[in-house]
This record gives sequence, structure tokens and C-alpha cells, in this order.
Amino acid sequence: MGHFMYGVAAWVFLWGLYGIVSSRNLVHQCVSLAILQTSTYVLLLGIGYRTGGTAPVFADIPVGTLVVDPIVQSLMLTDVVVEVTVLALLIAMVVKANELAGTVDPEELRVLTG
Amino acid sequence: MIRAWLRSWLFLPAAIGMAGLLWWAYRALPQVGDSRSLYGDYIATNAVGERHATDTVNAVTYDYRGIDTLGEEFILFASVIGVLLLFRRQPGHPADTSEAHEDEQIEETIPPTDTIRVTMQGMVAVMVVFGMYIASHGQLTPGGGFQGGVILATAALVVYLGGRVDTFKRAVSHPLTEIAEALGAGGYALIGASAFIVGAAFLTNWLPLGQTGQLISSGTILLISLAVGLEVTGGFALLMHAYLEEVIKQEGGE
Amino acid sequence: MIRALVPLPVVVPMIAAALVSAIRPFVPRWTAAALFTLGAAFNVWCTAMLFAATTHAPLVYWFGNWWPRGILAVGECFVIAPLPALVALLVSTLTLFASIQSWQLKPAASHLEPLMLLFMAAMCGFVYAGDLFNLFVWFELMSASAFALCGLKTAEPAPLQGAFNFGLTNSVGAFFIITGLALVYARTGALNMAQIGATLTAKADSLVLVSFLLMTVGYMVKGAIVPFHLWLADAHAVAPTPVCVLFSGVMVELGIYAVARLYWAMFEGSLATYGDGLRAIYVSLGTVTAIVGGLMCFAEHHLKRLLAYSTICHAGLMLIAVGLFDSAALGGFLLYVVGHGLVKGGLFASAGIVLHRLQFVGEPKLHGRGRGLVWTPVLFMAGAAGLAAVPGFLLETGESMMIRAATPFHFGWIRWIFFFGSVSTGAAILRFSFRTFFGWGAPSPADAASRVDEKQETVEEGRKVPACMFVPAALMIGLAAMLTFIPSLSEVADSAGHRFADRPAYIATVMHGAALEMSQFQALPSQGGGTIRSTLAGAAAVLLALATVWRRQSHLSGVLEHLECGVPVLRHWQSGHAGDYVLWLTVGTTVIGGCFVLLLH
Repeated sequence: MGHFMYGVAAWVFLWGLYGIVSSRNLVHQCVSLAILQTSTYVLLLGIGYRTGGTAPVFADIPVGTLVVDPIVQSLMLTDVVVEVTVLALLIAMVVKANELAGTVDPEELRVLTG
Repeated sequence: MIRAWLRSWLFLPAAIGMAGLLWWAYRALPQVGDSRSLYGDYIATNAVGERHATDTVNAVTYDYRGIDTLGEEFILFASVIGVLLLFRRQPGHPADTSEAHEDEQIEETIPPTDTIRVTMQGMVAVMVVFGMYIASHGQLTPGGGFQGGVILATAALVVYLGGRVDTFKRAVSHPLTEIAEALGAGGYALIGASAFIVGAAFLTNWLPLGQTGQLISSGTILLISLAVGLEVTGGFALLMHAYLEEVIKQEGGE
Repeated sequence: MIRALVPLPVVVPMIAAALVSAIRPFVPRWTAAALFTLGAAFNVWCTAMLFAATTHAPLVYWFGNWWPRGILAVGECFVIAPLPALVALLVSTLTLFASIQSWQLKPAASHLEPLMLLFMAAMCGFVYAGDLFNLFVWFELMSASAFALCGLKTAEPAPLQGAFNFGLTNSVGAFFIITGLALVYARTGALNMAQIGATLTAKADSLVLVSFLLMTVGYMVKGAIVPFHLWLADAHAVAPTPVCVLFSGVMVELGIYAVARLYWAMFEGSLATYGDGLRAIYVSLGTVTAIVGGLMCFAEHHLKRLLAYSTICHAGLMLIAVGLFDSAALGGFLLYVVGHGLVKGGLFASAGIVLHRLQFVGEPKLHGRGRGLVWTPVLFMAGAAGLAAVPGFLLETGESMMIRAATPFHFGWIRWIFFFGSVSTGAAILRFSFRTFFGWGAPSPADAASRVDEKQETVEEGRKVPACMFVPAALMIGLAAMLTFIPSLSEVADSAGHRFADRPAYIATVMHGAALEMSQFQALPSQGGGTIRSTLAGAAAVLLALATVWRRQSHLSGVLEHLECGVPVLRHWQSGHAGDYVLWLTVGTTVIGGCFVLLLH
């Protein structure tokens, strides 16, 4: 597999950034943020993978079998929860902004400027 | 402000630069499948013996790196408070329709067909049992508090989708949900603090570890998993309720 | 027994937050406020005890009793060293003052108190963390509570825009941090800072460099360094005042602190050979930030945005100190952080008083309205003097130590950047005070930002200034002055700085439990030139403020008018559009990355 997985991670990272930068819709920006986050998952899991390894759960396999890295999976779990919660908060802001200003276009919503 | 098209064009060289940087870095990573980690190997070899938990990922999440999970749980807690804060009724807000009127509106706008109603109501029982199974078996198989809690919260959502809006509202807006969430979050911290009783450090797994592979095993990992499940259920149910209420309010108010 | 106290500054506020949230519907509002204040007071006591205990050796606390196995750290630890302990004490103190100020806020269904408690717990955990991922988790808790607190005022679209921009940009920064973290883990197979520091000894290759780049960029987004600073003014303009006290007082500074922590605990071994190039990059970043911050600070007429820009300016100055990557600069950095936190907190608290009593925060509308107030102008002017690093304030002590540390690296010219920063921020606040409280000169020019009004956040607005608002503000600014007179303060700060930078000792203490005594360092004799320059800076600030206020009568009216209206490019840069902000984030990362490739390879 070489470095293909890391290439995928970089590709998704850049598309997520592009989505945020070029967006005309706040909800789309939030979703692009989520896409950006998935790139970090792919990177983490790629780093943790061991060729020929199986899931690090020893309920039915003997201890000592080759398994993939459990630390990385734990980090990813934490990441997922953090991402979901921050996203929930951001989307709540978007819903509220829509209620108050009637629009979700960031260009029309700019009340605060330099 | 930069015009939209100009923004995209300015982003292009920056993106190429970022791509270059990432390639420069990732090139020095070992091939996928070849990386070795002292930490990961230690856990894979020793976690089952040290903690009598067959799921090493959850052993890491709730025991070895338990303080991370505590922080993460409170991130969820803070975000739920944030959403409730955003959607709270402001004094002087345009007059809200009464509860009964809102229910009527919802019943009118989303009349579920019989198929949906029966399927959803049937699913609720299955989901609740499955959610509790996942939440309580975290130390044995993949799963744990977070995953189980989300399934349980989705079960509440399925109640709503099945047309029983009044049941959903009564269940979720009851102050008990907020208390359950706070209990789950505070409970995790208190379980950690309970280690002080035996003179150990915070979050030490001091309960008897039991036998590997049994349901009641791995000491505090099971308790923490349940506390997290309680908190996630309460938190997500509150979130869903807040969102649905807000949408009803916005659509009803127009 | 002091060891048992270590997790408490983080755990107790968290339990308190859950408790407040649980009993919220059943108890009157004052219970929540009382629990919050009690929690903050407990934290002040606890962090003070922990700071006092670190004078001889740092405290290392392993969670879950997971002691390291040889060279492998299996669990996570808190490491209480003097420098982080003092920052944690600052966090707790500012939160205590903010909690007293918050008694006067309009009730928000008692949601404010749990969020503030979690904010404080997260910041304490952030400075104590000894594990790289744990650092990130506390960073995220800090961010999540901050986003939530920004949304307190939700009846208008402006707060939502500010909160959203804040949330989006900081989250992108957080993902940069995770990417960098994953790269470090891939190289070292470890997450504990001491273990990573022990493993990364070879000269840094592209992986380590990019990892350091991504992580510092992510933390510098929080630290409001140009070009990642655009979210700060928006967030400050809309958050309630006690929250702003903490944002500008400590949250931003923690981003700069993280850069220092990353370098000294982990990357020093592999990056030390690149010292000159790194120094050039980070000191330049700090300089640009200080200049942009100073210029925009003077050009702002919305009080909270003005103070936000002064925070950006001072954050830039702090990055200059950290960016020297030299242990001698850290003592000055510590004193500067403490002094700036107190003064900025006091100024924001005073801004809250202005909003409460005079009902506006825009300079044009406030002209002359403050004539009846006696003590609030004193607070403002003392705060301005503090920011201008006038002798007698903690900032001056820190500043002279930092400049002294820069001289061996031929960076002595930064004293003029410090001078510029002091003059522009001090003059801006003095100008505001002269116009508002004395009614001197003509009303200020109005700009788009200053026309955004803020709704009342306190109960009984317009009445006399309540003690619970005035006393914290006065205490904060007063402390920044009084602490200067503690004997041998410079020596304590200097030795704390050197200890923070001593990687071998850190690794030995954390991984092997060795308690190494550190010798006290001799303080370098203070340079007389520093005191003169600071006094001149204060005088220049006063003169500039007076000249701007009465510019119609002066010959320099054209120049001053331009200065006050600000550089148009800088103003338009602050567009309020989140997509723009992330674009500049990417551009900035690429440019810094390019510098890394050129200078370091």
C-alpha cells in the first residue's frame, strides 16, 4: 500500500479546507469542517495499521496475536466525540443565525467588520 | 472582503503549498503497515493481563488514558450547555404558541404511515436493549459507553419519528434528563475521586478486576463506561430535543 | 500530602460544574453564582499551595497509578513546575475576579456558571499537562467552553457571527494540531512529553519540522498571531465582559505558552541546531503581530475591539520572547504574562463598568458621557500605564528581562518593537479615557465597527457602579503594580524560566522520579536604560493621546487623522467572513512552511 493512505488523508484535508474557504453557505462550511476532521482520522489509522494485524480485541484470539495499534484507535474515539460536539454547537449557531437574519450566506451575514 | 472567486483563486497557491508541505512530511513516514510503536505494543501485550479487559481499546480509553476521556466527556457536556444556551427562550421573544398548539401542528405536518409507525415502535425496544448491551460490554468487545449512549439516544429519536411526539417530548424535556446527564458527567469524576479512599491516585482502577471475559470484570472500567453511557444518552437526547424545538418554533412562528 | 492536591484544580471545578447543572432547575440563581465563586476561590488556594510546593522540585503526578515502565510512559501525568504553576494561579485568580463581576450579569438560566468552571478547569489542566494528547484535550475543552460562552448573547446576529468565526477558525487550528500530533506519534511511538523529548534527539528531518510547524500554527491560532488573529476581535466584541476578562487575560496567552512548552519539553533536542533560523521566523511573526496589533488598536473606536487588538499586540510581544528559544527569555515572559493578564483583565472589567453605567461601548457615542465618574477614569488610566509598561508595573519588569535576553542574539532592536507596542496601546486607551471621561476634543471618527452597539448585559443598568464590578477591576490593576515590589521577583521568575527550559532535568524527573535541585540563578543587574525607555514610552503614550484628541488644534492633524482611521488594508482584512479567515490561515501556514524549508534545509 505504500503511502497511499497518507495521500488520501492529505487530499481530504485540502478539500475540506477548500470547502470552508469557498463556501456560500454556513451549513456547508460546517460540513467541510467535518470533512477536514476525517482526514485526521485516516492519518491516525494509517499510522496505527500493522500489516497482517487484526482488531486489538482479545475476546476470541489469544494474547500475543499481531494486532493493530490500540492507542491510535482510542485517540480517534476521543477525536470523533470532540468533533461531533463542536459541530453541534456550530450548527446551532447557524440555525439561530438563520432565525435572526433570515440567511445562511456568510457574505450577507457580515455585521462585524474591521 | 474578498470576492468569492478571488478567494478561491488565492486559495490555489496556498493549497499547493500545503500539499507540498504535507507530501514533504508524509514522505518520511514509514510505509502504511510498517510503523512500530512501543506504547501500542505494550498495551497489546499487557492490557489483558493487567486489567482483565479483552477490549484493549476501551482499556486504554477508560483506564490507561482515563483522564483524556474525562476531559472529552466534559467537552460534550459543555457543548450541550452551549446549545441549550443558544436556543433558550429570550425574554421579550415574539409570543410562542402554546404547547398543545405546537403538538397539533406537528401531528398535522408529519402524519406517519402505519408502516412507519409500527416499524419504529418495534425498533425502539430492540434499540434500547442493544444500546444497553453495547454500553455494558465495553470491556469485552468493541463498544462502550459512548457508542451505547448514542444508540440509546437514537432510540429516543426513533420514538419521535414514529409519530409519538408527545411521548418524546415528555421523556426528554423532563428535568430528569438533565440530571441524568449531569450525573453521568459528575459520576465519572466521582468514580475517579473514589480512588482517594484507598489512597491511590485519581482514576486508579481499584475495584476487584474479576475474571477476564466475564461481564462484571475490569473494575472501574465497567462503571465508567456506564456513567459515560448515561451522560451521552442524556446529552444527545437534550440536543435533539433542543434542535427539534427550535425548528418547530421557527416554522410555527412564521 | 501536597501531592494529593495536584488533580484538584481540574477535578473539583468539573464536579462543581456538573453539580450546578444538576440542581439548576431547583435552586435560586444566587446558589449557582455562589458555587461558581466558591469553586474559583478553592482553585486559587489550591494552585497557590501547589506553586509554593514547587520551589525545590517539580511535582509529578501519574493518573491511575500508572508509573512509567522504564523508558515507556504507560499512563498520563501532570507535571507541576514553577512556571506552569504560576500561570495556573493566574488563571484561577482571574476567574475569581470574573466570577465576582458576573454576579451583576443578567441571568442566563444559570448556564454561565458551569461553563466558566469548566473553562477554568480546562486552562489549569492545560498548563499542568505532561502528555501531548492530554494537552490537546484540555485545549479542546477550553475552546468548547469558550465557543459556548460566546453565544450567551443570542438575541442579535452580531454575537452569532463572532462566535461562529471564533468556533470555525479555532477548530481548523485544532485539526492542524492533531495532524502534527499524529506525525510525532508516528516517529516516536509515544505521547508523553518527556518520553518524546528523550526520543527526539536526532537532527530534525522534514517529518519533525512539519509536525512542529503544524502544532505551533494550531496553538498560534489560539494565540492570535498574525495572520491567524482575525477571529479575536470578533469574539471579544460579542462575549460578555467577565468572559472577555478570561479570553484576553489568559486564554490567548496559553497559545503562546504552548509554543514554548512544545519546544522546550519535546523538540529542543532535534531543533536546537536550527536555532538561528527558527529564531528568525518566530521573532518575525511576533514582530509583525505586534505592529499590526498596535496599528489596529489605535485605529479602533469600539472599546472591546480596541482592547482585543491590544491583546494581539501584546501576544506578538510575548511570541518574540518565546521565539528567541532561549531559557533566559522565559523569566521575562512569565512576568509579562502575569502582568498583562492582570492589567488586561482589569481593563475589560472596567469596560464592563462603562457598558453598565454609560450603556455604550463605541467611542463616538460615549464622548463626554463619562464626566460624572471619578474612579473609573483612574482605573482606565492606570491600566493604560500598565500596558505601556511604565516602571512600577509588572509588565515593565518582564519587558526589560526579555529585551536583555534578546541582546546576545543581535535582536536588541526588539526594544523598539516593545516601545511601539507600549505607546500605541497605551495611547489608544488614554485617548478613549480623555474623550469619554473628560470630554476633551471633538468626538472621535465613527467606523463600521464602533457603530455596532452592545445590548445591556447587566441588571439595573445605568445606576451607580456596584462594588462587585468595581472592586475586581481595581484589585486586578492594583495587583499588577503591587507585585512588582515583591523582593527578588526577577530571580524567582528567572529560575522558573530556566527550570522550564531544562529538558534533561525534566525527563529525569518525570520518567525516573529523580528530584534534582536547581540552583538559584543570579539576576543580571538591571539596565538603567530600560527604565528610562519605559518612562519615555509612558510619556509618549500620553502625548500621542493628547495630540490625537486635540488634533484639530495641532499641526499634525492630517497625520493623526490617518493614524486614527487606520491602515485601510488592515481594516479590510478584518472582513468578518469565516472563509477569508481560513484562507489566511492556510496562506500563513504555507508561508511559514516555506520559510521552514528555505531556512532550515
